[in-house]
Amino acid sequence: MTTPRVTLHDGWTGVPGVTGDDAAANPATTDPISILDTVDVPIVVLRRDGMLVGFNKAAGVLRLAPSDIGRACRDIALLAGLPGLEEHCGQVIASGIASRADFRDGEKWFVVRISPYTTGDRQVTGTVLTFTNVTAFRASIDQVIYERECTKAILNTVADPLVVLNADQRIQSGNRAFYAMFFQLASLRTQLTKLLAGGHGFQPVEVDHVFPGEGHRTLILDARPLSLPGHSERRVLVTFQDITARNQAAAPNDLRAIAERKEELWRSEAFLAEAQRLSLTGSFSWRVTTDEITWSAQLYRIFEFDQGMPVTLELIGTRVHPEDIPLLHDMIERARGAGTDFEYELRLQMPDQSIKYLHTVAHGTRDEDGRLEYIGAVQDVTARRLSEQALGKAQSELAHVARVTTLSTLTASIAHEVNQPLSGIITNASTCLRMLAADPPDVDGARETARRTIRDGNRASDVIARVRALFAKKESTTESVDLNEATREVIALSLSELQRNQVSLRAELVSDLPHVIGDRIQLQQVILNLLRNASDAMSGVDDRPRQLLIRTERDGGDRVRVTVRDAGVGIEPQALDKLFDAFYTTKSGGMGIGLSVSRSIVERHHGRLWVERNDGPGATFVFSIPGESLAAESERESPGKPVDTKV
Amino acid sequence: MMADRRAAAHDAGITSGLGERGDERAMIVERPLVAVIDDDESVRESLPDLLRELGFAGLAFSSAEEFLASDCVHETKCLVLDILMPGGMSGPDLRQELTRRRQQIPTVFITANGDETVRQRLLAEGAVACLFKPFSETALLEAINSALGVS
Repeated sequence: MTTPRVTLHDGWTGVPGVTGDDAAANPATTDPISILDTVDVPIVVLRRDGMLVGFNKAAGVLRLAPSDIGRACRDIALLAGLPGLEEHCGQVIASGIASRADFRDGEKWFVVRISPYTTGDRQVTGTVLTFTNVTAFRASIDQVIYERECTKAILNTVADPLVVLNADQRIQSGNRAFYAMFFQLASLRTQLTKLLAGGHGFQPVEVDHVFPGEGHRTLILDARPLSLPGHSERRVLVTFQDITARNQAAAPNDLRAIAERKEELWRSEAFLAEAQRLSLTGSFSWRVTTDEITWSAQLYRIFEFDQGMPVTLELIGTRVHPEDIPLLHDMIERARGAGTDFEYELRLQMPDQSIKYLHTVAHGTRDEDGRLEYIGAVQDVTARRLSEQALGKAQSELAHVARVTTLSTLTASIAHEVNQPLSGIITNASTCLRMLAADPPDVDGARETARRTIRDGNRASDVIARVRALFAKKESTTESVDLNEATREVIALSLSELQRNQVSLRAELVSDLPHVIGDRIQLQQVILNLLRNASDAMSGVDDRPRQLLIRTERDGGDRVRVTVRDAGVGIEPQALDKLFDAFYTTKSGGMGIGLSVSRSIVERHHGRLWVERNDGPGATFVFSIPGESLAAESERESPGKPVDTKV
Repeated sequence: MMADRRAAAHDAGITSGLGERGDERAMIVERPLVAVIDDDESVRESLPDLLRELGFAGLAFSSAEEFLASDCVHETKCLVLDILMPGGMSGPDLRQELTRRRQQIPTVFITANGDETVRQRLLAEGAVACLFKPFSETALLEAINSALGVS
């Protein structure tokens, strides 16, 4: 095949710097067409007006024929297939800058480079088109794209989320499962961020996920902010509801379910507030280091402060009963120091001078920085305290009834005690009169008997005073009591009755007994009651001595223990737990309130009354109450009523 | 102690009673011995003096055991006996003991417990009287006279 030779019109005079005359002398410059023919790349030269001026041999693949030379490119089938070729060429000619275009010829792909053809005087007279065959290259790119799509398709059909991380451990790419999952989580995260920043609304997020071993699950994630008293940082409660089964069973109505659950939550919150209101219990938190105090609404109501008012210890102090201020300070001091749980009872004095009794329990916790915080509950126990006071009054009235009951059975004993000195008085007075009436009067004798009369009169008066003290109806008083002395007096009063019952009494009263704080008469009532019971328990005993032992002793340091042991009929095991119930009695003449009243008296003295069975016959009643030093302590910690305190 | 009691008994009634009261009573050769047994001290102090004023010889013992141990048992014409005494024999116990010893002595019981049933029982058992403390000297005198068989 012969490459057509063309005549270069108007400047097609050769390569710049080469003249036509020298062309024969230097083949490289004189026959550029021949050189171009050796190039494996099709080259086509167009004139400024778009006419085909020439092409090289390689352009044969473009099916150009020599007859095409001189024709306009738009008339040549191949070049007409290059869209916008003429405009392209026009731009290149105008700008002098080369341009590229993609060109497809059947199965072949070319990149066409359109370069300006410049003459020696820098005139652009045409364009040179070089066609680079990129068919194989394109095919390999297509192959890569295909492979990539194929890989993507495979990855996306894998159920497990897969993800590619870059060096910063940021997600480079992930499969569909990953995005399906984490698109939700991403929206979840956004919402949670809002919640934590103080927002309230939360749109429940539905997450479908295949869990290894569990299979496909549909979960609804919901969240609501938790406001923790005293915590500035917010927390979020996230709930996971598995609705897979419901989804499968019926058409889900998740939103309604969520609305219902929100309603439930709201109700439980409202329920808690209502519970606090009904139980008259408020809650608080107290950051000890900063004295930052948070109260529940109910606590504001208890203190009768405006809701939301900033709470300080000083503010609390304005409500606390003046007498309990030292107790408050004590509580604060202890709380600051130990950080242990505490329990206190304080009174409030309200602006209308009414009194409220508050029972406070607090639990100390420390955060990771070791800062102490108390979370506590405060209950308004006013009603309970008032009813306790009423009960106490009723009890003291009952105690009086019990004393009066005792009185009736003790009448003989009292009569005995009084009749003895009365007998002496009358006898002495009679003797005295006779001595004075004698002739001569026995004045010395009369003086002596008169003296005895006075002494016996005093003795009778003492007995009366003692009896009156024991049986007078009195509000309870508190004093320092020597239980030995109190016991001796009771023994003195009971002795004749014991004698009548042929009971021999042994008293072992330890000499260094600590005093106790309390109501002397009430404690004597307990002792008297125990002695009477012991005596009664032995009234039917004839086969052994009716021995009664009363003993006082120290009980583990500063407590005082009083023991009354009899050799009577003892106590049936089934009666043991009923023994201290009111109106329980085994005696035909008894009301059954003696032991129950006795126990309540002992308990009012922060003590304990119990019964022990003897090795031999009979029973032993024991009570133990704190000595003066201990009593002062327990009184300070729980005024009015014994409370087991954990301080 | 017993020797003192014995001396006191003589002093109280049998011999020195004559001397104390002078010649006009010299014809009263012997005052009947009335023994008072009571755990109550004021009774023991006051009764013997009154008995003396009433013309008897009075002697006091604090318990039945003390009386039994003394050598006055045979001379005692009348017992003024407390019913209840702590820790030992009661009045009725003493009477039983004396009956056992065949040394019965007319007895006037005295008691500070005004228990009528006890009184009735004691009278049924042969006591001369049972006086509730405090009793009058008339009641005592009547009871003792009754015990001594004086009309």
